[in-house]
Amino acid sequence: MDPRIVKLFKKAIGSESVLTDPVQLVTYECDALPHLRSQPELVLLPQSAADVQAIVRICDTEGVPFVARGHGTGLSGGALPVPGGVVISLAKLNRVLDVDIPNQRVTVEPGVTNLEITRQVAPFGYYYAPDPSSQQVCSIGGNVAENSGGAHCLKYGFTVHHILAVEAVLPNGELVQIGSSLPDAPGPDVLGLVVGSEGTLAIVTKAVVRILRKPESVQTLLAAFDSISAAGSAVSDIISAGIVPAAVEMMDAVAIEAAEAAVHPNFPSADTILIVELDGPSAEGAELFAIVESTCQKSGATRVEIAQDEAQRSRIWKGRKAAFAAMGRISPNYYVQDGVVPRTKLPEVLGRIRLLEKREGLRIGNVFHAGDGNLHPLICYDERIEGQSALAEKVAGEILIYCVEAGGSITGEHGVGADKREFMPRMFSEDSLDVMQSVRDALDPKRLCNPGKVLPTPRLCGEVPGPYREHPVERAGLGERF
Amino acid sequence: MGVTQALRQGSVEDAVDGVVPPVVAVPERPEELAQVLAAATLDKQLTVLRGGASKLGWGRPPDRVDLVITTEKLNALVAHRHGDMTVTAQAGMPLTRLNGLLAEHGQHLPVESAFANATVGGIVATNDAGPMRYRFGTPRDLLIGVTLAMTDGRLVNAGGTVVKNVAGYDLGKLVSSSHGTLAAIVDVTFKLLPVPHASKTLVATYADGKALAHDVAVLHGSQVEFTAFDISLSDQGRSLLLMRMASSPAATDAQASQARQLVSSAPTMVSGEEERALWDEQIRAPWSEAGTVVRFSWLPSNLAAVFSLFDRVRANGCRVAMFTGRTSGAGFVRFEGEDSVVAGAIGVLRSSEHVGHVVVVRASRRLKEQVDVWGPATGASEVARLLKRKFDPAGILNAGRGPI
Repeated sequence: MDPRIVKLFKKAIGSESVLTDPVQLVTYECDALPHLRSQPELVLLPQSAADVQAIVRICDTEGVPFVARGHGTGLSGGALPVPGGVVISLAKLNRVLDVDIPNQRVTVEPGVTNLEITRQVAPFGYYYAPDPSSQQVCSIGGNVAENSGGAHCLKYGFTVHHILAVEAVLPNGELVQIGSSLPDAPGPDVLGLVVGSEGTLAIVTKAVVRILRKPESVQTLLAAFDSISAAGSAVSDIISAGIVPAAVEMMDAVAIEAAEAAVHPNFPSADTILIVELDGPSAEGAELFAIVESTCQKSGATRVEIAQDEAQRSRIWKGRKAAFAAMGRISPNYYVQDGVVPRTKLPEVLGRIRLLEKREGLRIGNVFHAGDGNLHPLICYDERIEGQSALAEKVAGEILIYCVEAGGSITGEHGVGADKREFMPRMFSEDSLDVMQSVRDALDPKRLCNPGKVLPTPRLCGEVPGPYREHPVERAGLGERF
Repeated sequence: MGVTQALRQGSVEDAVDGVVPPVVAVPERPEELAQVLAAATLDKQLTVLRGGASKLGWGRPPDRVDLVITTEKLNALVAHRHGDMTVTAQAGMPLTRLNGLLAEHGQHLPVESAFANATVGGIVATNDAGPMRYRFGTPRDLLIGVTLAMTDGRLVNAGGTVVKNVAGYDLGKLVSSSHGTLAAIVDVTFKLLPVPHASKTLVATYADGKALAHDVAVLHGSQVEFTAFDISLSDQGRSLLLMRMASSPAATDAQASQARQLVSSAPTMVSGEEERALWDEQIRAPWSEAGTVVRFSWLPSNLAAVFSLFDRVRANGCRVAMFTGRTSGAGFVRFEGEDSVVAGAIGVLRSSEHVGHVVVVRASRRLKEQVDVWGPATGASEVARLLKRKFDPAGILNAGRGPI
């Protein structure tokens, strides 16, 4: 990078906040999608919204592309650096600014972790609902960018349903307040557009989030089935009974085997297991949980286990949440996919995935949010075997096509990022993508704000698609993939 | 315009705030709607989009309206995927009709409107919602996909038909509350909820706002999960709290008795037809008589301060005829009095730090010429204006009337 520009950044935010040492820059080459890598020219560590503004203004004037980064746990390469560009790490904007219990809201800077919000309000009996499984380490800024979900979004919705307002720096360097703690702001819902825009429209420097009162009771059961269709019919019957569970998760035999090998949750050996969680008022839980249990029995559950205490409940969830990382125990490499199908199409699409597995000779584990049809197929392969990496990628892509053909989506929660933009034309017409591009151009006419993400463009040079590799965060046991 | 079969001459019944449009377009197909828009853009025809016309008066008074496009014939149910609990309907589908169809499968879109002929496109465009927003949010929270007709004649999609989906920009959110300023909504897809098996409402009466505000704070901190939790204040000075529990039968009763214990006054309980009538009345109350209706919001902890503002307004000679709202901080108030007095009342709300987004939704044209119905612009409106230039470069959509 032109030393004159480096000097401008140093002058604006202080030399100590500008990383230039190639050894330090390596950390920022990728997020939790490590097969896409690119070295940034500089990493900037602003300490305030004013610093972010100063950086973005320089980028705007000098034509330098910039990529905002939270804590690097994204799974679609949304924080992948751009050649010739800078990475703006929001890690140092990590203060909790206000906890307002009477109005059920908390104001935080973007570098605050998801779980920290719950930690702050738990003593008052509240929590922050969106719970991506990286919640111990992922940042709220990143959650806003990706519109993160989690296991409980069937009942509680996504990040967009829990953000009341943000302060953000626009690509021209202007600082704006978007949304308000008060409802019913007149005019287009710009906040709803910015949440989930994957860092391409603005850099969030502050967020006001909604917190919820802890439910009176939580009940969890695990049911074993000898076929995925029996488990699927149990899910359909629960939902047709008018019950909205907090979570409905399914794992197939491959995923069960992997979880057992890794964290020993003592899952029954079965073709499929179903985890159903209900939360809410105690009386409601007692009444509805009995229906859930009998529905599982009627659908042919071979075993139903009800969590008797918090320890048992944690064990069930530990097994479920460890499933991704656990694949490493039964396969040298694996590829994590994220696709969505209408819930009723689950059996059909899972059947196609089984055929694909047979045809291509790669084992595929399935772990998914059955309540909302969000699939996470785990494609096992061995990169030491010539051609298997490419085959795994091809298989992963084919599964996305099944999802779209079934009327679903190419991503339910991981985002499009740099990883899936080439699949966007399968979901959206050229005109639709063109209008989305015009949204981007309205805010970022110079196309400097996280370019090459979300919308399809020719791949950047130096990017090589490839397999899943364990992220340092996962290796440290701080987070798992969902 | 090339789509003449979809056009008719405007009449007094089509008037927008007293301005009769010379032409009304009644497209029957999405493509027709898009073509009409493209033609209007070419000819710089100032265009107002209309659903059921129930909120047509919301906005600044226009000087000129060249064209009204109505979705009255784009009103089909596209698909109710009841197994997936989603529905797609064309914009002109009335909300009540949609909920009637969904009820056949024990499902509903948990949104109420004060207006019998409100359409699904209209509730999205205005983010119109009733008491159940306390639990389920507003239309934007339930919307999962849209088809839009752009001013250049293109039909585009965003979102989809699955409840979980983060692919692409959420243009559905963007047009929520856009009041017809960015694009025409052609169809909408919502996620649905099961109709609860039981429902009961507790009604508590208070002599003064302070006691009511105290109970609201206590109940907000409780673990009772209300489906709706509303306030009603009429100018006879009697204030009510309405607490609706809707779940399984035993759970509904259990929660009602839990709520009852937390309320300082002795509440009465209603269910069945009586309960439905109570909520209908609650939703329609601000609109049921003549007067100026103002939409505004507040932080829940400022509820007592809202009541104090009403006292100030009354002291200035303005009648605070009816106030209803959600305890989460969103409501409507009807002011009655001379225009200058009502303008003063609006000024009192706007100058208070305890309330925000004070929007005049129903008023005489004369009053609307005295006060800006939308109030001061926000940071987001700057961003919205940048988008408006891309979406509607000719500036024809709700020109001069909308919030941007």
